[in-house]
Amino acid sequence: MTDSRAGYLLMAPVALFLLIGFVTPILIVAWYSLMEPRTFELTSVLTLANYRTAFTDGYGPPFFWSIGGAVVTTIACLLIAWPTAKMLHKLAGRGAVVITLLIAGPIFVSESVRLFGMSLFLMPGGGILAGSLNAVFGVSIGTVLNTKMGVFLGLVYVHFPFVLFPTLLGVALIPQDRVDAARDLGANAWQVLREIELPLALPGLVIGALLTFVLCIGANAEAAILGGQTVTVVTRAIEQRFSYAQDWPMGAALTMLVVAVTAVVVFPALARIDLNRLIRK
Amino acid sequence: MTSGRLIAGLWLTIIVTLLYLPIISVVLASLANTRYMRFPHRDWSIGAYTDALTQHQTLTLHLTSFKIALMVTFLSVVLATLGAMAFARYDWRGRSVFQKAVVLPIFFPQPVLGLALLLFFTAIGVSPSWKTAVFAHMVWILPIVTLIIAIRLFGYDPAQEDAARDLGASRWQVLREVTLPYLCPGMISGGLFAFLLSWSNLPLSVFTTGADTTLPEWLFSRVATNYAPVVSAVAVIATLGSLVLGLIGLGIMQLRRAGKA
Repeated sequence: MTDSRAGYLLMAPVALFLLIGFVTPILIVAWYSLMEPRTFELTSVLTLANYRTAFTDGYGPPFFWSIGGAVVTTIACLLIAWPTAKMLHKLAGRGAVVITLLIAGPIFVSESVRLFGMSLFLMPGGGILAGSLNAVFGVSIGTVLNTKMGVFLGLVYVHFPFVLFPTLLGVALIPQDRVDAARDLGANAWQVLREIELPLALPGLVIGALLTFVLCIGANAEAAILGGQTVTVVTRAIEQRFSYAQDWPMGAALTMLVVAVTAVVVFPALARIDLNRLIRK
Repeated sequence: MTSGRLIAGLWLTIIVTLLYLPIISVVLASLANTRYMRFPHRDWSIGAYTDALTQHQTLTLHLTSFKIALMVTFLSVVLATLGAMAFARYDWRGRSVFQKAVVLPIFFPQPVLGLALLLFFTAIGVSPSWKTAVFAHMVWILPIVTLIIAIRLFGYDPAQEDAARDLGASRWQVLREVTLPYLCPGMISGGLFAFLLSWSNLPLSVFTTGADTTLPEWLFSRVATNYAPVVSAVAVIATLGSLVLGLIGLGIMQLRRAGKA
């Protein structure tokens, strides 16, 4: 059996599954988005009315929120993940493995549990933080719960591990002798960072940033649990179209716009990255 | 150098502490059975746990989540093992396209994927239940498991297979005696990821479980509405479940490593 025949045979089940489970649903959403408003049937009468409404009818703020929140969260996560990854890489050995596992742990605890815990921690009055401070030091503090800041902290908290692990892979791509050579030639810390470390670790950083950005675009549990009514994120707006408003085509059009934003960000970045190099190590 | 190590130690401690604070908060909150959250508790009790355990619903929720996670794990590992061989073992035309296409679902907003799948199920006339949730979880988890097994395969030397074949092994024997044992650690960690990611998944389940309810879904609906200590208790029980499974998985991997050394 030749390599290419084996390759085609082995990829077929996964490719078929993703064709049915990933590509087809997106095509169906695309079709729904071209139906007359408030219809539930798929017909051949196509219209762009929903997209017109999407751009004229006040859906700007949810999009602005989700995209803005995703950008800010991604940057914040990268800024925390970079020094953390470098320290873990330098630490090496058993300690680093234990800490890495500890950081990975929360990924497997449901988002609802972690965000619930955060709201318990931040709750004013009898919350874990406010209550303890009051009991120990006798001070009362305010809260960021039910504010935009609360939502932002929740986003960073939930997504930090997703940036850290690709960043760790990226940092592992930096050969130490390259850094040493640059230092010997008189490069300062900033130059080493900009000219050597960041370009070499870029594939990891890009994967981490992409993952976080995309997850944040879709994130709605943070706003629901930590944001009170202060923020309507785009997936919440879409959900409302499908449930309360019973306007599937409108919801589908908004969904397609989110898909478009995601595609515009993901495709160019993914095209430039050699996955083989990153995971072969 | 020592001050550098000190700063690193301090920084990492802070990061890990912050990551676990919310989880510890849930545990602390669950240790009192009062209507309103007033920390520090005046009366510490495990009443919330006895309430949680005596409610029939707690068992149903766990069973639904468990059923889904188990199916997702089994199906994903089987399909991903095949996919990973195409991803990393063989050289074929179109491989680089396949490699990029497979990871696309990972880079896709999950709630949007959940909604799209719900429309898809409706359009083809399938009513959502825990079975459709298995399918939905797999769309996101299968690519991840494929990547994990593929990472293992990149270190694989195909010459081992040639050697076995030269010694008279059939294709089936080569697969069973050479390829699969080598892939086994990747399949175990892939399976572990699949189970835990499915067990804790919220955004896909919300749209695709229909009348069935998973643990994260129930927790989310209760958390978003009003506080009750029993919610904290169920959250702790659910988290302990994944903790135990994670430790068992790590233990198996350690044993295998020790057995080989």
